[in-house]
Amino acid sequence: MIANALSWMIAIPLLGALVCFFAGGKAKFVALVASIIPLALSVQMYTEFDKTSKIMQFVESYNWVPSIGVKYTVGVDGIGFPLVLLSTIVSVLVIIYSWGETKKPNQYFALLLLNEVGVLGVFTALDFFLFYIFWEVVLIPMFFLIGSWGGPRKDYAAIKFFIYTHVASLVMLLAIFALYFTYQTPEGTRTFDMLTLLAATADKTIFPTSMLNIIFAGLLLGFLVKMPAFPFHTWLPDAHVEAPTAGSVVLAALLLKMGGYGLFRVIMPMLPSVDKAFVTIIAIVAVISIVYGAFMALAQKDIKKLVAYSSVSHMGFVTLGAVAFTWMSVTGAMFQQFSHGIITCVLFMSAGTIQHVVGTRVIADLGGLADRMPKFAVLMMAGFMASLGLPGMSGFVAEFMVLTGSYATLPSYTMFVVFLSVASTAAYHLWAMQKAMFGPILKKYINVHDAHSYELFSMAMIIVLSLLFGIQPGLITDIMGTAATQVMGPVVTLSQMGVI
Amino acid sequence: MIPLELYILLASAMFTIGLYGLVTQKNGVKLMMCIELLLNSANINLVAFSAYQPNVNGQVFALFSIALAAAEAGVGFAILIALYRLYGTIDLNNINAMRW
Amino acid sequence: MYADYAYLIVALPVLAFLLCLFVGWHLPRGGGFLTVLATFAGLVLSLGIFSEIYPSGIVHQSMPWFANFNVGILIDPLALVMLLMVTFVVTLIHTYANGYMNGDPGAARYFAEAALFTASMLGLIYADNLLQLFIFWELVGLCSYLLIGFWYRKPSAAAAAKKAFLTTRVGDVLFLAGIILLYNNLAALNLDLKAGEYLLQFPVIYAHVAQIPADQLTLIALGLLGGAVGKSGQFPLHVWLPDAMEGPTTVSAMIHAATMVTAGVYLVARMFPLFYAAPYGLTAVAAVGAFTALFAATMGLTAFDIKRVLAFSTVSQLGFMMAGLGVGAAVGTMAVGVSIFHLIGHSFFKALLFLGAGSVIHAVNTNDLREMGGVGKYMKWTMYTMLIGSLSLAGFPLFTGFFSKDEIIVIAYEYGVLINFLPYIMLVLAAVLTAIYTFRMWFSVFTGKERSDYGKHESPMIMIGPLVILAVFAFGFGFAAQEGFYSYLDSNFEHYDVDFAELGMIGGHVLEGHGAPEGAALEEEQGAPEIAESGHGEAGDAEEGGEGEAGEPWYIQILPIIVAIGGILTAGLFYFDKIKKFDPSQVTGDTDPIRKLLLKGYYQHEILTGWFAETVVYGTALICNMIDIKLVDGWLNWLSAWVMGFAQNVRKVQTGVVQNYVTALVLGVVVLVVVITLAMEVGLA
Repeated sequence: MIANALSWMIAIPLLGALVCFFAGGKAKFVALVASIIPLALSVQMYTEFDKTSKIMQFVESYNWVPSIGVKYTVGVDGIGFPLVLLSTIVSVLVIIYSWGETKKPNQYFALLLLNEVGVLGVFTALDFFLFYIFWEVVLIPMFFLIGSWGGPRKDYAAIKFFIYTHVASLVMLLAIFALYFTYQTPEGTRTFDMLTLLAATADKTIFPTSMLNIIFAGLLLGFLVKMPAFPFHTWLPDAHVEAPTAGSVVLAALLLKMGGYGLFRVIMPMLPSVDKAFVTIIAIVAVISIVYGAFMALAQKDIKKLVAYSSVSHMGFVTLGAVAFTWMSVTGAMFQQFSHGIITCVLFMSAGTIQHVVGTRVIADLGGLADRMPKFAVLMMAGFMASLGLPGMSGFVAEFMVLTGSYATLPSYTMFVVFLSVASTAAYHLWAMQKAMFGPILKKYINVHDAHSYELFSMAMIIVLSLLFGIQPGLITDIMGTAATQVMGPVVTLSQMGVI
Repeated sequence: MIPLELYILLASAMFTIGLYGLVTQKNGVKLMMCIELLLNSANINLVAFSAYQPNVNGQVFALFSIALAAAEAGVGFAILIALYRLYGTIDLNNINAMRW
Repeated sequence: MYADYAYLIVALPVLAFLLCLFVGWHLPRGGGFLTVLATFAGLVLSLGIFSEIYPSGIVHQSMPWFANFNVGILIDPLALVMLLMVTFVVTLIHTYANGYMNGDPGAARYFAEAALFTASMLGLIYADNLLQLFIFWELVGLCSYLLIGFWYRKPSAAAAAKKAFLTTRVGDVLFLAGIILLYNNLAALNLDLKAGEYLLQFPVIYAHVAQIPADQLTLIALGLLGGAVGKSGQFPLHVWLPDAMEGPTTVSAMIHAATMVTAGVYLVARMFPLFYAAPYGLTAVAAVGAFTALFAATMGLTAFDIKRVLAFSTVSQLGFMMAGLGVGAAVGTMAVGVSIFHLIGHSFFKALLFLGAGSVIHAVNTNDLREMGGVGKYMKWTMYTMLIGSLSLAGFPLFTGFFSKDEIIVIAYEYGVLINFLPYIMLVLAAVLTAIYTFRMWFSVFTGKERSDYGKHESPMIMIGPLVILAVFAFGFGFAAQEGFYSYLDSNFEHYDVDFAELGMIGGHVLEGHGAPEGAALEEEQGAPEIAESGHGEAGDAEEGGEGEAGEPWYIQILPIIVAIGGILTAGLFYFDKIKKFDPSQVTGDTDPIRKLLLKGYYQHEILTGWFAETVVYGTALICNMIDIKLVDGWLNWLSAWVMGFAQNVRKVQTGVVQNYVTALVLGVVVLVVVITLAMEVGLA
């Protein structure tokens, strides 16, 4: 493994983005190279990753602003690494899918790469200051992607997305500052180091429960809005529907996982120390997200909005698994994040291709497309089946683990979810897919062409990955299983690890 | 000697008149005159205080103030002339382009 | 050594699936022969395994998978007989399909999906743990969806496929709930598992069922039953089966007669120890099964589409099988043997009937009974093979159906003696109706005058061959295999650490004359086999007309024979020209309300699709949508509108008039001075 691999993973797309701006029509090649290198690095990192270790690996730490205790520290462990892998994979596939972009391609690909930078930074940062910077960095490229390449209501959607998540992040920032100002290191200075602060929250003398509750609420708000969880989810349908396909994919596959990552990294270590009422609140929020998201998806007329609400529903499983706090449910929740990140790509890509080929996303206007677009139909069907939790694909394993694990501590919530959402999830997926693909081909679609080869390639890769992780989840659940144990136990700081 | 309080009273009265004028007068020239009133009231205060002290700091400062008042009046009238040329009036209530 | 290759039984059809999917369209007949070969290889392997482990061995292999779960192969007598049946029947059906699907442009897709289905079904049968069974269960459902909707350009086919998937999904939700409950209960026991043992493995479940609290057992049993109800098309989740006839007939034969729908019965049989130990578990099974048997039989009486008649018949017969398991409350593990025997026999003659129907449809080009008639003149092979199948289904003496179906009625009688006669009565009535509607169909199709102008040719040999082979089994399987079958299956649960006497105590069962005193004394070893052995011996005797120890009167013995022959004659009176006495429309005219009720399928479509799906479910969705737009998003937009409005008003401070600013300045200074003076007074500054 090359030295400073994580920093390279973050830096190369950044450099690539800069080059893309000036590359004109060749920007897609630059972008592809700039995203394949991090992919290669992360795959190699996978082979070298220690699956049984509960501490940070590949850590790099440099002093940045010592006077206020900010360090540039990055590292991965079982929580962040699967997401790093996911980010690199999805970024490459998104760039391949967008191969045919003609409107200002240089800016488009640059913005996609900047998104990758931000997301990778979030998943590897171990300093709260750095974490917050990358967290906010992600907003800017997405804002421009939605605002410039988006659909009819792009201005509204872009502003709503930006302001909503930004305000929530500011609340999170206040909570971070509260942590920062309350804690003093043994040397008497202050620090933004994430693990140190999180480990300190377990200490009731430093952080009394009343104060910790407020800090927790602030952090929780930031993450719940990002996930998104009911009732803070309304930015998602607008942002997703109006964003260009690549933007939607990145938004759903990566940005939402930032919220989940925060849940595991920050919220869960603090959960034993705060008021038990939070567990009930989060559990209720999770269950409502799952069920409400499923019913909302059923009511949609636009296929992209349907997929957006399915994201709300699936991310609810992540919240549920996390708050149930058993090994199986936490592992399942982490896996659900990963699996959803993969599967949602193909869902949005399907919606994008339909929009592009047929010209409309309204489900009622579609029909019989499988006749003219056979390869696309197979991939779309496989994707929708994966999303509804068909065994053999990764989604089922994840949902099963979350549900089985959650029953031990949250029986009534779990059963409620099982009965209401598992069947209705199948209903809306099937209905949408069926209406679009089956039945006699409508006269106005007689001449449509099948999806482009690059679009099919991206979608096929996703299906392969979903099958791979569905048939052998152990490839990644081993890492997550260790991470789950780690997350449910005390936080190990970098100095305790002897790393710095 | 005249009691200090009377000088301060005089200066306050002048200041108040000047302030009132500043706030209520529409005419730009009248505004400038009021500003002079304000400055001179401060000068009276300075000189009065210096009369009751062994040093002449107050009077020196008053001289500075007079010079500054002159400069400021010059600039102020130049602005008024430029405004008059632009708007044809120096009714300050009507010159409100830099509004919301 | 065959056992080492057991995984190939599933792997080879998967390979056939991949080949057909990717290169199928280059191959002749769409690669159908690959599917046949793969399934046939499975048959050979199953026979090999049978030769190796009969009569007292089992195959159990497993390897860890992820988290706390494993993947494995468990071939005990129950699984083995199912494997043999499925591979055999499905090979024949695939062979038939090579002829039936000839010329269809989507043939490669058909064979790919059929191969995947075969793999899934076989995987389901020899799964060694409940999770794996559930996974293959869902995969079988997926293949069913794909195959029912095979001719996807037809809206009715697409709709039927969707209905099938969603209805079975409802059942699967219950199944999943049952699995979650079971897993958590087992985990709560803090068992000391050895290496290679996992919580959801069947041997582990059997061994520890007794330790789970009884009320939890009932819930688990109901959940699992829910899954079985969905998959096997029992009431109230049976609505998808008749519509599923939209698929090609080979699909109907394969999925909806011989294999997939039997998965539900197989599940209950597999989890029989749990059902046995759950209070009211088997009661629920019996209730559902007996009711469905009667209910579906009534609907078969009025259907005009030949495949729908057979579909209702399947639902009804599955009800028999479920009821057969349910009455295990009275007869113990013998019920498993009896039920599975009927399952296997039924798959032979039902597949035969479906394939025969397919042959008729293929030639005659219509599904409607009213347009057929006199087909027997042109299709001799089809007519005779279907006659054998129909006689078997109706339970005519000496045919397979007689031995199997009526055995169920016998043990239902014993259940009646001990507990409740309701299942017995329902099953007998259902048997009467079975005979009637079966021969209504046969007479209407093959005898009498032609009622419309249809194609007149016999089907090709590739389609006739399987019919003949199935006919042989439909006729002879019964008396050839019954004895050996029962003793083999009765030994099924001996391979595991399960004490049925103990389970019976938990479940509240009393077995009179079947070793109950020994059970009551709670002898640890061999309590179950003794009960089983004495039970089946009696059943075997009872069939022969003698009296067993349970003491069924002679009139109960011959009732099945009367029912069968009587039913056939009744049907003949209405439909067979040679002895026709009554005209069907005389008994119930077209406007008769009962007939309308039956024809309309008890308005289930209207209730389910109209009321439940569209009003309740979709209505909730629309309400949620309204809440989201108006309330959840609404407060957000209200907030932003308020902020904007506030800003619009605040900006008016910038009047542009200098004096206003001066005024503000002065006021601000005044306020500041006051505040500071006050602060100084109070002592803060």
